[in-house]
Amino acid sequence: MAFQSRRAAAVFWKDFLDLRKNRGLMWTLLVFPAILVMVPAGIVFAYVRDATDASLRTMALFYDPNFPPGASAARYLIDRTLTDWFGLYLLMPVFVPILISSQSVAGEKEKRTIEPLLASPVSAAEIIVGKSLAAVVPAAVVSLAAFILFCGLVDAASWRLLQEPLLPNGMWLFGVLVVAPLFAFFGNGVAVLVSARVADSRLAQQLSGLVTLPLIGLVGLQLANLIKAGTRYYAIEGAVVLLLDILLVIAGIRLFDRDRLISRWV
Amino acid sequence: MSGIELVQLSKRFGNRVAVDALDFAIAPGEIFGLLGPNGAGKTTTVRMLSGLLSPSSGDAFVFGHSIRADGEQLRRRIGLLTEQPGLYDRLTGRENLLFFIKLHCLDRGQAWARALGYLDRFGLKGREDEPCGSYSKGMRQKLAIVRAILHQPQVIFFDEPTSGLDPESGRMVRDAIAELAAEGRTIVLCSHNLTEVERLCQRVAVIKGRLLALSSVQELRRVGVTLELRVGGPAIQFERALAAIPFCRSALADGNVLRVGLESEEEVPRLISLLVAQGARIYSAHRAERPLEEVYLELMREDAN
Repeated sequence: MAFQSRRAAAVFWKDFLDLRKNRGLMWTLLVFPAILVMVPAGIVFAYVRDATDASLRTMALFYDPNFPPGASAARYLIDRTLTDWFGLYLLMPVFVPILISSQSVAGEKEKRTIEPLLASPVSAAEIIVGKSLAAVVPAAVVSLAAFILFCGLVDAASWRLLQEPLLPNGMWLFGVLVVAPLFAFFGNGVAVLVSARVADSRLAQQLSGLVTLPLIGLVGLQLANLIKAGTRYYAIEGAVVLLLDILLVIAGIRLFDRDRLISRWV
Repeated sequence: MSGIELVQLSKRFGNRVAVDALDFAIAPGEIFGLLGPNGAGKTTTVRMLSGLLSPSSGDAFVFGHSIRADGEQLRRRIGLLTEQPGLYDRLTGRENLLFFIKLHCLDRGQAWARALGYLDRFGLKGREDEPCGSYSKGMRQKLAIVRAILHQPQVIFFDEPTSGLDPESGRMVRDAIAELAAEGRTIVLCSHNLTEVERLCQRVAVIKGRLLALSSVQELRRVGVTLELRVGGPAIQFERALAAIPFCRSALADGNVLRVGLESEEEVPRLISLLVAQGARIYSAHRAERPLEEVYLELMREDAN
């Protein structure tokens, strides 16, 4: 069956419209990024406020035993925080599509809208593309908006100490523009796959949400100084996720067939 | 060419056989009833015929298009009204319909003009910009019907189309079904409302996994003989006695009227003698037309035995 972009666009239009009218989900989409932006900005502000505090030097020495005596521990810790925080920032492009896709795929089953949809000429691939765009585009927009806000807040908080903008830097630009979209496709792919197998959107969200645990674990290892994060490290993460994205697309198209979707109500 | 042709169509879910070798044809322009108890495989059959489920074995052809091979072509030609309307509650009626206009790649102006005509017909005009979540059950059902027919399909599957509707809306929907058939569309109607089936359908298939009966409604009612007897006193005393008589297919008392189903006319004198012997005073006896409900229940009983 030939892929018709008009039909995929129709699915995107409907899902995007539905998302805009879903106030509960819209609030969740705003609150989650807001927390991910405010917390690191708050940490930076705390470091700047007590930049000469002796305990900051102790913390810096924990991360780098060769930390030079005359260097600013506050500056070091701000840089370190911003580098490590990107690992948590990646939760946003993963989690936002999970929230949207779980509702849009398992939600179709839950509300029994999937039967009329599948009885129309639209193909599985057109549904997947339409629904994925409706989940990934808002995730990209939210992530980008959150990043711009993040840059503003961090620069404002650190200005007193540094007298120069800290963000955007090369690592964050690479991360936000290259790595984050790959993670967004990953979150969406997992949610589509899980949603195709279960009938309850909340269950789909909970199961799909489990994929964020390894990310949190990695950040934990960074904070424990067992992993040293940086542009190269995030590029490797991105490459692994790209591979997973390809596998998810293949699995998604295979598993997203009418028979399975209609037969598996539970 | 048949409108719809089922060829040994079967569907299994694991070890459970939901539909077992259905084999019949539906003529173009026919209103065809699919009857059976809950879990008989009616919805599964409709889902297979509308390309939602693939058969485990056998095949079916909808205007020549195999349900196994021609999914997209098939779905262009069918309209499906599911048991539950399946509307997007946050979207308005207009947005719900526009979505399906886009999915069918229809000319938006023409299709919307047609949709407005249907909305007017069903008393929904002026409500199209309200969210579907605010619609009553009847309004939802009627909007779902408009959605199922706005691309002018050749075949329309109606699964319980009047379920939960008030009598006026029910009549409106029945009239619309009759009009669609008059336009030459083939209608497959799944319903538990046997009066509705009797009123609308030319032929019916009674299924319970497998095919139990396939006939025109008139022929089905002609199977056996139903005798309506007016007796002196309550007829219930004879209903119990007749239940044990082998040539009586059914016996139903209503006040002093006794309706008895027999295998053939030959058994009428035997029945009268038997009732008289039991002390019945028979004031009148005439052959009654069997309602479809009686035939249906009899088929279910026979299958259970």
